[in-house]
This record gives sequence, C-alpha cells and structure tokens, in this order.
Amino acid sequence: MRVIIMRRILTLNVSALAAIAVFAAGCGCGSNSGTTAGTPTTTTTTTGGTTPTSTAAKRPVPTAAGNTATGDKIVVGMVSSLNGDLKPWGDDSAKGGQLAVEEFNKQNPNGIGGKKIDFHVADSNSKPEQGKTAAEKLMSDGALAIVGEVASGITAQIANAAYEKGVPVVAVGATRTDLTDIGSNVFRVCYTDAFQGPVMATFAYKELGKRKAALVTDLKQPYSTGLSNSFRDFFTKLGGTVVDEEFYNTGDAQFSGQLTNLKSKGPDVIFMSGYFNETGPLARQAREQGLGKDVPLLGGDGWDSREILNTGGDAIVGSFFCNHYNSQETRPEVQDFLAKWKAKYGTAPGTTMGALGYDGTMLTLQSLKAAKSADSKDLMDALDNTENYKGVSGNITLKGMGGSPHKRALVVQLTNDPNAPQKFVKAYEWDDVFGAGGGPGAAPAATTTTK
Amino acid sequence: MTLALHLVAGVDFNTLPQQLVNGLLLGAIYALIALGYTMVYGVLRLINFAHGEVYMLGAYVALFVSYFMGFRPDATHPPQATILNLVIMLLASMVVCSIVGVCIERFAYRPMRSHSRIASLITAIGVSLLLQYGGALFLPNSPPPSISESVNPFHGQSKEFTLKGPSQDLVMLVEKAKPAKDQAQAAYQGWLTSHPNADIYNLPADGQALKEAQQSSTDIFNDAEHKVEAGGVHLIIQTGQAVMLVSTVVLMGILTYMVLFTRAGRAMRAVSHDFDSAALMGINVNNIVTFTFVLGSSLAGAGAMMTATFLGTPLTTFYGLAPGVKAFVAAVLGGIGNIPGAVLGGLLMGMAENMVVWAGYSNYRDAVAFLVLIIVLLFKPGGLMGSSKVEKV
Amino acid sequence: MRFWSIRLASVLIALGACVLLQALVGHASDYEQRIVVLVGLYITLSVSLNLINGITGQFSIGHAAFYQVGAYLTGYLTLNYFSKQPIHNMLLWVILMMFVGAIGAAVAGFIVGLPSLRLRGDYLAIVTLGFGEIIRITVQNQPAIGGSYGMNVTPKYQSVALVWLLAIICIAVCRNLLKTAHGLPFLSVREDEVASQAMGVNVTRVKVTAFLIGSAFAGAAGALLAHFEGFITPTTFGMDVSFIILTMVVLGGTGSITGSIFAAALLAYLPEYLRGLKGADGQPLMIPGSNVVAWLVAVAVAVTLTRLVMNKYSGDKLKKLALYLGAFALAVVSRFIAAFFLRMIPVMANKQIPIDQVRMVIFAVTLIVIMLLRPQGIFAHHEFSWSWVKGLFKRGEVPHSAVSA
Repeated sequence: MRVIIMRRILTLNVSALAAIAVFAAGCGCGSNSGTTAGTPTTTTTTTGGTTPTSTAAKRPVPTAAGNTATGDKIVVGMVSSLNGDLKPWGDDSAKGGQLAVEEFNKQNPNGIGGKKIDFHVADSNSKPEQGKTAAEKLMSDGALAIVGEVASGITAQIANAAYEKGVPVVAVGATRTDLTDIGSNVFRVCYTDAFQGPVMATFAYKELGKRKAALVTDLKQPYSTGLSNSFRDFFTKLGGTVVDEEFYNTGDAQFSGQLTNLKSKGPDVIFMSGYFNETGPLARQAREQGLGKDVPLLGGDGWDSREILNTGGDAIVGSFFCNHYNSQETRPEVQDFLAKWKAKYGTAPGTTMGALGYDGTMLTLQSLKAAKSADSKDLMDALDNTENYKGVSGNITLKGMGGSPHKRALVVQLTNDPNAPQKFVKAYEWDDVFGAGGGPGAAPAATTTTK
Repeated sequence: MTLALHLVAGVDFNTLPQQLVNGLLLGAIYALIALGYTMVYGVLRLINFAHGEVYMLGAYVALFVSYFMGFRPDATHPPQATILNLVIMLLASMVVCSIVGVCIERFAYRPMRSHSRIASLITAIGVSLLLQYGGALFLPNSPPPSISESVNPFHGQSKEFTLKGPSQDLVMLVEKAKPAKDQAQAAYQGWLTSHPNADIYNLPADGQALKEAQQSSTDIFNDAEHKVEAGGVHLIIQTGQAVMLVSTVVLMGILTYMVLFTRAGRAMRAVSHDFDSAALMGINVNNIVTFTFVLGSSLAGAGAMMTATFLGTPLTTFYGLAPGVKAFVAAVLGGIGNIPGAVLGGLLMGMAENMVVWAGYSNYRDAVAFLVLIIVLLFKPGGLMGSSKVEKV
Repeated sequence: MRFWSIRLASVLIALGACVLLQALVGHASDYEQRIVVLVGLYITLSVSLNLINGITGQFSIGHAAFYQVGAYLTGYLTLNYFSKQPIHNMLLWVILMMFVGAIGAAVAGFIVGLPSLRLRGDYLAIVTLGFGEIIRITVQNQPAIGGSYGMNVTPKYQSVALVWLLAIICIAVCRNLLKTAHGLPFLSVREDEVASQAMGVNVTRVKVTAFLIGSAFAGAAGALLAHFEGFITPTTFGMDVSFIILTMVVLGGTGSITGSIFAAALLAYLPEYLRGLKGADGQPLMIPGSNVVAWLVAVAVAVTLTRLVMNKYSGDKLKKLALYLGAFALAVVSRFIAAFFLRMIPVMANKQIPIDQVRMVIFAVTLIVIMLLRPQGIFAHHEFSWSWVKGLFKRGEVPHSAVSA
C-alpha cells in the first residue's frame, strides 16, 4: 500500500515537473521587472531593523515612463490614513493638501498650461497593504505624483509601487531614514529619524543633563524601531549609556512587566519612540510604577496629537518630544497658514501633519509649475532641484539631498494649557546636532554626491 | 545550557516578586475572559470567536457611561470621581454585554447548532468580523477615545511595600550625595530667580555652568538612590490594579457559586457533560445556553470595563482581538471546557508573559503564550485540567 | 498509452491556458494584474488547506505560517544569493525558488504535523494557530530580514502564468489524490480515525503526508508572492490571512476542491471589487449610514424568512419558490421601512460612509448568510464533473461524485 502511494504521488509530481520544464523552456512570458533598477544590486534598502550606516549610495532610478497628463486635467494623488489608528494625522494631512490645492488654483486661475489640478485623496486605512492598493489605484487613474503618507510603514509600500511606475512620491510625515533609498522617485518634506533621534539624544544629554537612557519601542512599527535605533546610536556616541530597551506591540494594554524591568535598571530618562495611542497609557503606568517626574519622558513626532493628553493625563504633562513646527512661531509662513486653515476649517490644525500635508502638496504643485510639462519624469527632476523652498514647516532643500531635506526640528513640551498644549522649547538645525560639514560618519549623510 | 546561563545572568532577582505580582494581575484578566470561552465551549463545543468583540463592546459601554456621567476628556471641571461611578460603569458593561452575547447566540449560533462545528466556527468568525468592521462605522474609533482618568478615583495612586531593605552603606551613599545636590540646586535656583527672563534651554555661560553643576550632582544623587532602590526588594501595587484583582476574584467567586450551587448551574454542568442526555432529562437546553452566554459575556464586560478604566487603553473596535486570542489560548491551556482550568490557564499565561519580560525578552512576549501552550499540549494533549478523550466510533 | 496521452494533453492544455491568461492580462493595469495573481494564490492556498482540513479532517488554522515561510525563505535567498549564483534566468530561478519555498514550508509542515499525531480537533487548531504566530513574531524580531519594516525582494519577477500554473498543479495533485485509491486513506482518517486504523490505514503517515503536501504548496505560493510583490512584511501573513483561507475552505464546502476554488476566487475578488465601486461623480461610492444599517436589517429579515420556509415548508416546489420570492420582497420592503426610521437619527443620516469601509462588513455578512443558509458550504462535498453538467441538461438526479462521503 505504502509503496503504491509513493509511486503514485511520484507520478503526479513527474507530470508537474514535466509541466514546469516545458514551461521554462518554452516561453519567457514573465515580466522581469526587478532588474529595472539596473543590475540587481543589494545596495537598495534591504533591512529595516538597524539604522543604515552608509546609504549614501546612488538611489536606483526608475525606468518606467511614469504618467503624463492627458486632456485638460493634471491628476495629483494623495494617499492618507483617513481611517484607522492614524486618522488624526491622515485627516489633517488630507485637509492640508486640499488647502494647498485650493490656494494654488486661486493663484493660478488658468492652471498649469491650461490644465486644471485634479486632486484625488485615497484612503489607506492606516494599513500598508491598503496604502499600496490605494496608490496603484491613483496611478492607474493617471496621477502624476503621489503625496503621502503620514507613516513610514505605509509610505514604504507606496514608494515601492510608485517606483515600478516611475511616479514621484512626496512623503508627508514618513520619517524613517532609509525610505528615500527605495528609488530616486521618493522625496519627503519632513526630517528623518536619523535627525530626530539624534536631536532628542542631544537634548537629553546636553540640555537635561541625562546620562542613562532607557528605550521603549513598539516592535510592530518600523517607525518606532528605526527611531529607537537612531536615538541609541547618537546617545551612546555623545557619551551616554542606554541601560535598557523594552518592547511592546501596537494595541497592548498592560506594560507593568516592561516598566518594572526598566525601573530596575535605573534610567535617568526614558525615550518612547512609539505612536501616541500607546504612549499615553505607557506614561500613566510608568508614573504609577514609581518612575517619578525626575525621569522625563521623551518621544518623537509620533506623539504629535491632542489625544496623547487625554490618554496620558497628568502623567504625560511636562514630557518633551520632537516636532516639525509650532503654532507659536512668528514666521509669516506659519501665521499665514494658520489663518488660512482657520478660515477654511474653523479650528486650528490638530496635528503637525496639517502643515506637512500642505507643504508636501504645495511643493508638488509648485514643482509641477516649474517643470513646465505635465509629466512624471519632469516633475521628478523639478522636485529634485528644489532649493530653499519656504514651507510652513521650515525651509526645504532637496537638491543633492537624495530626497530627504535637512530640516529644522523643534523640541516641544506638553503642557496643561488647553490653548497651547505644546510649548516651544528649543530648535535644532542639522549642524547644531552633527556639527558643520554634514555630520559624523555614522549619521546617515543624506547628501549624495550625485548631481 | 549557555542559553540558560545567559538567562540567569540577565535577570534581576530583586524584581522577581514585582514581576510575579504583575503576572498575577495580567493573568487575572486573561482568566476572566477565558472563562467565557471555556463555558461556551463546555456547553456547545463551539469556539466563540466573537467573545473578544463582546469584550470590546463592554469597553465602549464603559466609555459611554463615563461620558454620560460627565467625565468627558474635554470637560474642564469633571465631577468628583467616586467608587459608585465605577460600579455603575461595571454593571452597565456587564448588562449590555450579556444582552449582546445572548443575541449573538440566538441569531447566529442557534441556527447552526445542528450542523457541523466548523460551520459554526466560520459563523463565529463572521460575527466577529461584522462587529469589528460594522462597529468601526458607528462607534468612535479614530482617533481612539479612552476613558478619562478623572473617572478613576485611584488614578496615579500606588502603594510601595519594602520586602527587604537595602544595606546600610548604600543608604549612607545617598546621605553623602544629598548636600552637594542641594547646594548646586540652590545655586542654580538662585541664579534663575535673579534672571527671571532666562530661557533655561538657552542660558548664558554662567547660568549654563550652574545648570550643568546642578545636573551632574543630581545625577550622582539619583544614581545613589537607584542603588538603594535596586539593593532592596520592593513591591509596588497600583491601587487601581489591586482593585481590579479584588473585583476579579469576587466575580469568580460569584461565578463558582452560581455554577456549583444553583439549579441553573447544575443544569449547565449537566448540559456540558452530555448535551443530548441533559435535554432528555427535561433540562431546557436553550435556556441553559442562554444562561451560559449571560455569565460568560458579563464577565467579559467586567474585564473590559476594568482594563479600559484602570489601564487607560485607547479604544478601537479591534480592542478585543489580542486579549481575545490570548484568553482563548489560556482556556485551551487549562483544558477548554473546564472552568477551574480556564482560571489556571489565564494565571499561567499572565505569569509566563511576565517571566519572559523579566528575563529581558519583551520582544517575544506575545510568542511565549503560544510556546507554553504547544509545550503543554505536547505532554498533556487535553490541556492542564482537561481530559483527552479519543472520540469513539 | 492512452493514460500518458491524456496526461500529456492535460499538461499542455494547462500550460496553454496559463500562457493565454498571461497574454490576456499582460496589458491590464498593475492593480488588475494583482487581483488576478491574488485570486490564483488564494486558490492554491485554499485548495492546499482543503487537503489538510477538508480531506484529511485535520483542523489546521495556521496556513499563513507556511505561506510566510515560503515567502521569507525564498525572498532572503533571492536578495542575497541571486547575484552570486550561476543561474541568471529569472524564470528558472523563480521556479527553483518555488521548490525551495515548498521544501522549506514542508519542513515546517512536518514540524507542525508531528503534534497532530497526539492532538485532535480544537487543540490541534490552536497549536497550528500558535505556530503561525510564533513564526510571525520571530520574523518581526529579526533585523536581518527587515523586522517589522519588511524585506525587499530584488530582483522581483512578476508572472501571472507561474502563479496560475501553480494553482493548476495544486488542483491536479489534490484531485488525482482523491480520484484514485490513494486518497481513500485520507478520507477514512477524516471520517473515523479509530476505524481506519483498525482497517490497517497508517494514520500517522496519512496525517503527516497531508501536512507535507498542503504546506509545500502554501510555501510555493509564498515564494511566488514574494517575487511578485517585491516587498513582504510580517503583517501580510497575520492570523487574519489564516482565517480567510480557512473561511474559503469551509465556505466552498469542506472537502470539495471545486468549492475551495470557487470560494477562493469569490472571497479574494469580492473586497477588491467592492473597493472599485464608484458613485455617480466618479469618486469612490459613499453610502449613508442609515442605508448600511437598513441593508443589514433587510438581510436579517431575508435570512430569517428563508430559513423558515426552508425548514418548515415542505410542499409543492413552485409554491416554495413563491414563498422565497415573498420573503425576498418582504426583505426589500423592510429595508425601506428601516431606512425611513433610521433617517430620523441624525448620526445615521448625516454620516456618509465610503465603500472602502463598508466592504469588510459586506464580507462578514456574506460569510454569515452563506453559513446560515447553506451550512455545508456552497458545493457541500460535491465536485464539479462533466457528468454533473450532463445531469443538469438531462434533468435527472444529480450524481454524487466519487468523493462524496
């Protein structure tokens, strides 16, 4: 019986093998699109867990032709988290984008070369796969460029999809460092984790005088793991030690185990690199575990939301995090933007993503205008030539930067004041952190030598 | 062997009591949810996948009730929180969850009862998806709301017990570091009062020097304090979590009473033992199934209300997914269908998770639950307290 | 001789069909191609799970784990070793990777299959589920393969034909297994383990074989997914994917290969179809909240009444049909009545919900409705066969296939 079964299964497999052999020999009907990036080098972004140390390599250039506007419309797409965990950001980013389009249309009543801007917003539901599908949908609708996303994990998928099509992506709030290495079609209007991690490390070390840090990382979020690593690297470089790193997963409720461990290692400062949803309860439970206010909590721009004050309560007040701009800034761009937002939506923007969404969309539209032809390729070149663009969130220079601008980062403090929940503390330029000349070797120098 | 050595080297035995207590607290909640799974399974042989969603709804009910009582996040002057508020929230969650559970049973599971168990399972998955995604359409979930901590009269409170004090010379160290710290602090504060407009993050040289002196002396002091702390064995009990544990134990006590000493409970055990014979003996099986769902769902509601209130987790309609799966694993671990087994399984899982965290592998915290389960099932295929019967011909 | 010529002909037809399909969708958009590929992959996954679950009766709900093993193993090999080895033809390499993925997943399947010797029913289910989770969490913890960020698979290779070829091979292997005497031990293990052991069936061997074959196909599917997408993340292989695959098997009819294929195609396509629905203005369709709930009410009414007719009425066929139609009409009426009342609630009436969010609700309702109305699955245990088609025209009794239990 046994023998027969084996022989029979073998027969089946033989026919399967024969099929494959015939198939392999007979036709080459697969599309070998992987080698579009030239030779299949492994220098493109491969691993996410560690901070890339030398990614100054050339970014692969997409070979696909991209989209060209047909008819009397130029389609510009935006992918945003209109639902799901990141909704506060996604909503603001979309609102910012719409504000930018409205304003651009007002300034250019004839559109670009007689073509009107048609702005499509697609929902990613805060999920990477759905973000990718949304991007593909937009591109098949003829989008010349895609603005978004607010989160790195989703943007990575969008960028990969867009790379295939040769369509530029202007990321809004995706700070993960190696994101722009995906291809020369990827740009962003925010700073990177390679900057905000060191900014918070510098702040903790130099301004707060802390020497022993502990990290709390959301293992499920690429953003969080990347940011924790960049903080750790720079903090140790400055001379501090990282005494402990604890992990949790998005959606966890109980952190007492991790916090007990963390407390026993005696950190002076705790860096929580996750998003606001879990950071609030984390802060609450940390305080209840006896980690007093003399151990400040720090975080990245993932904290930026009013929700954090609801979920974190008193425990989180007084903590510091890194942000892109602050509503109290006196720069005309900021005050102008806030006034326009207020006029259109009635309230102040809830998160920074409003400003970044506005900047990303406006930069895309201005570049389209500068490109003088409604074509993805030309738009990509125009974006790559951006110099000193005055955005709401600061000056943006993309020329020679490999897609990631060196921008200013602000450290802000959470307060009890409902009118100004984020108090401006200190601003850091790239050079303030890394010193003049582009930064130390380990800092991922986004300055590519290619011109 | 090296792994074991590494494990031992990496852990701090002074935090072991604390971690055990953490595990107990976590496990109690798992046990509470696991009871619902195990009772339904005992009676219907059905894995009630929608149980996690009942739990999620319980948390939302608690949220709405807290809003209704005036504890909104945007309220500038929320009312004074009392235990009565918590009791109202608890009862509301339990009642609504029972109703939801009974409805699910009546409309989705009862029609499937005569069909294959796997078909009921798929229906359960369908109900679970419906509640997750359908709930997302109408329940506030983005941004995820959370129950305001103002409703919790115990918020921020904890009590520290010292099991073993630190050695005397460590305490001396703190005493030694204190004067220098106080002095530097006073000097810095003095400088600040004389320069009222100074930006403490952008000080002139003299101020900066004082600030740094103050910081480094504080650093030494904190270090010494930490040594004292780490030298002893302490136990910090968060009041909220202690209340949670006590309530859980009380609820389990009530459940035990109901199952063991009431007529309905006896009938439930009979149905669980043999569904058809119980029906033949004149037990109204449908009523008993309803009773089971009331018990299980109300426990889930209570668990949800307590975690959402005392831990402050933001709510989405996927809130029940992770605890639901963990609790289900706990139920299987204890031997699904067995009530004491569910409690044991829950506690064991909570402990196992915290032991892994304690050993410094918090990144594998979610995997360990399954690992423990697989290992236990390899040796006891019916779970810890369950019996493994070979289904007869 | 005839045996082999039929074999050869079917192989050639399968190949031709795949090549034709590739040519057909070659000019479709990426998005449409992806749907075609997804359907193909899900067919492979559900048919292979059907072998474990439906045919051998081993309750496995962690199929995504094997899918993941195949995807990550081959993705890692391609990324790190493709440029360093002598095969430069991507097609050959991907076919090789299919086998490697299959072997890797089969090893994993063997490891999971072993406890199945001791466990049964729900206990086995939870072990397979746990195994899947352990693999996912372990992958998430390895920076070398991208951790939670995901892994780039370069060079990628997009071939619709390969995906469908795999699906056809999977179907062929499972069908041939069932159609021949060698499938009988599998079926007998499902029906009664003790009895089949008494009849001399090597139960252990059958169970492990089922796990080996089933997981190997899932692994091969994973390899193709990795090379098609070019980027894989741990979330692509979560518990929900396992549940979806299981749902496909049960929905189609446990044990029915035809059913698995049909349900896989339906469930893989339905959410994507719904996503594409557009309103009058060309933007994604928006549905008022009140209408969503009203439709749910209508479905509940329709299902309840239909079940009532199904179970309580056993009369003339024509009258029964009329009753069904009546139930349907009542459901439609109740939808409008419900909508009328619901519109009075401002929260419901003012809320416009994009189809993107409603589609998973529709998915869930589809599951529940099919299970309530046809608990044995769409195809129950029947298979598609030509005699069945002929039977339709002859208006005779529908013949049961050889597989019927």
